[in-house]
Amino acid sequence: MRCLIFVEHSDGTVSESALELGAMAKSIGAEAVGLICAADPGAVNALAGQLGSFDAVIGVADDSLATYNPDAAARALTAATEAHKPDLVMTSYSAAGVDLAPNVAIRTGRQMVGYVSGLELDGDTLNAMSTVYSGKLVARTGMDLPGIVAVMPGAVKADGLSGGAPAVEMMDVDLSGLRMRVTETLVPENTGVNLADAEKIFCVGRALGGTEKIELAENVAAALGAELAGSRPVIDAGWMPKVRQVGKSGTKVKPRLYLMAGVSGAPEHLEGMANSELIIAINSDEQAPIFGTAHYGAVCDMFELMPALTERLTAGK
Amino acid sequence: MTTPILWALTLTAMAISGWRFWVRFRPLLAARPAGRTDRIADRLSFMVGDIGLHRRLLRFSYSGILHALIFSSFLVLFTAILESFGSGLFPGFSLTAIGGETWIALLQNIFAVVITIGLGMAIYHRFVIRPERFEGSKTRDATIIYVLATPIVITMILEASARLAIDGQGSAWRPVSTLFMYPMMALGITGHAAEQAEGVFYWAHILAILAFLVYIPGSKHRHMFTAGPNIFFRPLTPKGQLPAPAPTPGEDTPTTVQAYRDFTWKDLLDTMSCTECGRCQSVCPAHAQGKPLSPKKLIMNLRDGYLTDQGLMDSPDHAMPIVGGTIQPETLWSCTTCRACMEVCPVHIEHVPKIVNLRRSLVEEGEVEPLLQSALTNFQSQGNSYGKPAKQRARWTKGLSYKIKDARKEPVDILWFVGDFASFDPRAQKLSFLVAELLGRAGVDVGILYDGERNSGNDVRRAGDEGLFEMLAMHNIEQLEVCEFNRIMTTDPHSLNALKSEYPALGAAFDVVHYSELFLELIKADRLRINPGQAGRVTYHDPCYLGRYNGIFDAPRDVIRALGHELIEMPRNRDNSFCCGAGGGRIFMEDSPGGERTSESRIREAMELGDIDTFVVACPKDVVMYSAAVQALGVEDRIAVRDLAELITETVETEERVAQ
Amino acid sequence: MHIAAILRLNPVLTEELEVDEDGRDIDREWIGLELNPFDDQALEQAVLLKEATGAKVTALAAEAEGGERLLKTALARGVDEVLLIEVGEENVQLSSRARAPLFQEALEGLAPDLVLTGVLSTDDIYGELAPQLGALLDWPQVSAVSNVALGDGVATLQQEYSGGISARIEVQLPAVVGLQAATQPPRYVAGSKLRDLLKVEVPTVEPGADFGADLADATELEVPDTSGGAEMLTGDAEAVAARIHEILVERGLV
Ligand SMILES: Cc1cc2nc3c(=O)[nH]c(=O)nc-3n(C[C@H](O)[C@H](O)[C@H](O)COP(=O)(O)OP(=O)(O)OC[C@H]3O[C@@H](n4cnc5c(N)ncnc54)[C@H](O)[C@@H]3O)c2cc1C
Ligand code: SF4
Ligand code: SF4
Repeated sequence: MRCLIFVEHSDGTVSESALELGAMAKSIGAEAVGLICAADPGAVNALAGQLGSFDAVIGVADDSLATYNPDAAARALTAATEAHKPDLVMTSYSAAGVDLAPNVAIRTGRQMVGYVSGLELDGDTLNAMSTVYSGKLVARTGMDLPGIVAVMPGAVKADGLSGGAPAVEMMDVDLSGLRMRVTETLVPENTGVNLADAEKIFCVGRALGGTEKIELAENVAAALGAELAGSRPVIDAGWMPKVRQVGKSGTKVKPRLYLMAGVSGAPEHLEGMANSELIIAINSDEQAPIFGTAHYGAVCDMFELMPALTERLTAGK
Repeated sequence: MTTPILWALTLTAMAISGWRFWVRFRPLLAARPAGRTDRIADRLSFMVGDIGLHRRLLRFSYSGILHALIFSSFLVLFTAILESFGSGLFPGFSLTAIGGETWIALLQNIFAVVITIGLGMAIYHRFVIRPERFEGSKTRDATIIYVLATPIVITMILEASARLAIDGQGSAWRPVSTLFMYPMMALGITGHAAEQAEGVFYWAHILAILAFLVYIPGSKHRHMFTAGPNIFFRPLTPKGQLPAPAPTPGEDTPTTVQAYRDFTWKDLLDTMSCTECGRCQSVCPAHAQGKPLSPKKLIMNLRDGYLTDQGLMDSPDHAMPIVGGTIQPETLWSCTTCRACMEVCPVHIEHVPKIVNLRRSLVEEGEVEPLLQSALTNFQSQGNSYGKPAKQRARWTKGLSYKIKDARKEPVDILWFVGDFASFDPRAQKLSFLVAELLGRAGVDVGILYDGERNSGNDVRRAGDEGLFEMLAMHNIEQLEVCEFNRIMTTDPHSLNALKSEYPALGAAFDVVHYSELFLELIKADRLRINPGQAGRVTYHDPCYLGRYNGIFDAPRDVIRALGHELIEMPRNRDNSFCCGAGGGRIFMEDSPGGERTSESRIREAMELGDIDTFVVACPKDVVMYSAAVQALGVEDRIAVRDLAELITETVETEERVAQ
Repeated sequence: MHIAAILRLNPVLTEELEVDEDGRDIDREWIGLELNPFDDQALEQAVLLKEATGAKVTALAAEAEGGERLLKTALARGVDEVLLIEVGEENVQLSSRARAPLFQEALEGLAPDLVLTGVLSTDDIYGELAPQLGALLDWPQVSAVSNVALGDGVATLQQEYSGGISARIEVQLPAVVGLQAATQPPRYVAGSKLRDLLKVEVPTVEPGADFGADLADATELEVPDTSGGAEMLTGDAEAVAARIHEILVERGLV
């Protein structure tokens, strides 16, 4: 079985999600073939060199592919799919993946499944697990191959680089008459705290008690690579600025991880974070309402837990 | 010779003063109608009573007393003015026949002292005590008035002193003037000189009065003339009924307020009647927590904006448009519509309808505070602020010991209009559950509307979305009209206000009770047997929409006492209650205060009463607001926020116990 | 200039969802529907472009229930015309893939210059709408767009990638755009406008095209088992920290 993986990259580096897709293809015992679209063959080769775990790479080189161009990429992926007839086409569920997977599915007459968080091969049928309705439900779709999947970033862990650079085969794709061009790439200015877009958040509640111990919380956040947030009393008391407030009258967040300590779980707080993908709550009171919403909970003293966790996280790196 | 001069002076002054009044009031004729000419007798008797007894003024005792002193003096001293002008304009005119030289003279002398004391108190108040409520009032205007009023009194006294000095004969009827006669004579002012002095003081007196007259129309002291009419034209509709927009004369459909003539004439009269006393500001919860709203400044700004618009004032700060120019949107969104300002305003100015009217123009433009926008959008799509599907409204009833009737399907005695908070907030749901169980235990035949209920629209209306309010209200009315029931009960004062006070204007009159009233009945009728357990020292918070708006003050208190608790009142209680901060749509908006949140200052107020263990509330929103406040202050171990339903549940005998 | 905005209703996600007996659909007994938040952005962007350029805006929907009210809301927000594609009352659960050919047909009839719809819908398992329409119509298509400006025969868009990076893209019209965020957030529409439009008739059309084939028959839905309260981690702070670390590693979060 063969998977054709659309490899995203920027600034000469392949994205983490491409490596994750490679690992996922391996996990169902398939060959991983990458499709790299870049400005010239040299760039393709340089990128292919970062795909140690892949079995092969198909390269498409054109000026229009220097950065991601939805029209050009869709043509390249369609052409590669038609030429190589992989059993499965894989994209990440990123902006590019949303552009490409459904588009190519229509162009190639394939079925597709999006929001994929896991794959299992069951004979000729591929079972795709998707998290739908904002993660409130899991869907299991049995797809007859050939097909297409768009996989959530972070659904599996990327493989480390094993093996040498895969062989690169260049392919010609007609990219004349493109109907769009990328005029500019915009890099964000440093906008400071942005809870709404944070992937991971560590939130502390009133139990923090003051600014003296805020360093403990900052350490956890730093070790975790998370934004630090607080419940309303924490902001009211001036221990953190208002931009860090989560909840009804603060920011509504939906990170992949919401770790919280010393927050009771009032409805106004839940309103801002209950849709987070993974919620882990620490509270000294086993009756705390937050345990009704969290996925994992622990009854313990946050002031003991925070240093212990920081240590684990830093040691694990 | 003097008579024609006086005539000329008087007529000129009156003409100038009249013109100054006219230009200020002429635009009222082109403004929207207000419908305030019904029930003339009620209006009159109330007005006379309110002014005569200084009912509202005396709530603030120091300034109430000083105002009473000045006000009564003005009435008495009016006789002196009458004498001066009467005798001057119509030679031979005199009040002597009815006591002008005896008891009237005595009264004038006494009240000259009284007014001096009053003015002294006023000056002391304004310049020494300087209460916060004067912050933003126009001190210069006040000062000019003191400067004009004082000579009127002094010249009146000295004129009589001079007259007495002619013969050197004091008069027992004029003790004060007599007192000043002696130093005058000591200065050699007797006989002819005294005659001349009398003339000088007479003219000084006349000129001071005329200056006062000319000055008044442009001053806040206009209220001497407008307060009466303003009180006379006060609204007689239920306090909880907001006026719906009416078309501006010359237009067919009601629009939002863009120009001053889009207000009602009474709104404009209000602005011209404000005394800048700041009583409203001193009770305003928004002002207290540092929000950019003072009801006083709002009225003053509208007035100055109106005058600027009329070309009578030149203030760039008050240029059009009204919202965004004179009044900032944040000011409008800060109001909780708690009505404390209206309740305390001595001239019955109506702040809330103006605020709501201006909010309406913002809403119509789609300019809505972001969090409020999401709540309103939820109301539009799901009929509640939570954005929860209507189908989930009755979910809280799961697990009740009996199935609560669907009032749309069978007749019931009591139709319980549950309300959003009581249906959807997890903390309030628990209380709804207790209420349902208590009703069940008392054998009350009760039903609810299930997914047929929508938010009552009370807060939506006050947030300024009139169209959405009508849609919500009409939906509920349609649902209610097909049900058979005797009375509607609700635990939520906001729903109560809509059902009781707002819906009648849409043609739907229901008999509406608050659960505190119903439970009081049930306790009195022994349908709920009380087994007084541990008596607590409790205090009770009057919800604005229950108390101030709908006059329900006693039922919750009676229930608390019937349960055997000792009720200690907070300083701000009953119609002087202090808003929790949730009303008027505020609960849906950004809530970071500039200062301390009102709910928190309220909890502090309760704690200052000394070992109070329970803060009793009778409103689902209050449960939420005050629980959060107690958490914010970190005083859970010292005071508990509890709903009436919880208190009843713990003291009422269970069936088993009743059976024994 | 003619802009088409495609709007879809989504279940309200403030509540826990349940699955119906045969595991094929969500239990619709307890849920409400609302405009897909991204379609909301698309609608706002369409109206903003109308205000900026005088373009005409047509809003389209294909819903089993609630479509009329949805389109009336769109009228209240300022679109010029609306069109409801009839899908039959029984088809309450239609994926974007199933509806795509219906929209394709309607769009071929309307021949707009620009099609705006939400970048995604949380139930689009079989593919998002905008890229499918791009392929079906053979028009250029860009998803995850945060900003649209119209020029002469072209639209200038901003496509958003992860980490806040974005690109400015110039697209020839006609084109399809999957919108993530409008140039400014949707403005509020006063209830009075909505009320006035409640009486309006919404034009409907019977589709000639068939539903697109998707894998709906091969999908089973489940409620993830974490929703029934937290799984408690026991032990002292050290032990808990260790378990948390493990969980994070398992999930690839560290
Ligand atoms: C209109 C309105 C809007 C609101 N908006 C928001 C909002 O946007 N965001 C928000 O957060 N709140 C909001 N609130 C306030 C909300 O109701 C709660 O008051 C608040 O969330 C409580 O914050 P908390 O959980 O930090 O504090 P608490 O409720 O006091 O909880 C502290 C928790 O810490 C635990 N704890 C104590 N010591 C320790 C320890 N050593 N280790 C571990 N755990 C410990 C306690 O058991 C307790 O559960 C709003 C309220 C209202 C009325
Ligand atoms: S209604 Fe209440 S909040 Fe509003 S202005 Fe008056 S006192 Fe202030
Ligand atoms: S509005 Fe009323 S209470 Fe407020 S300052 Fe004016 S007169 Fe006084």
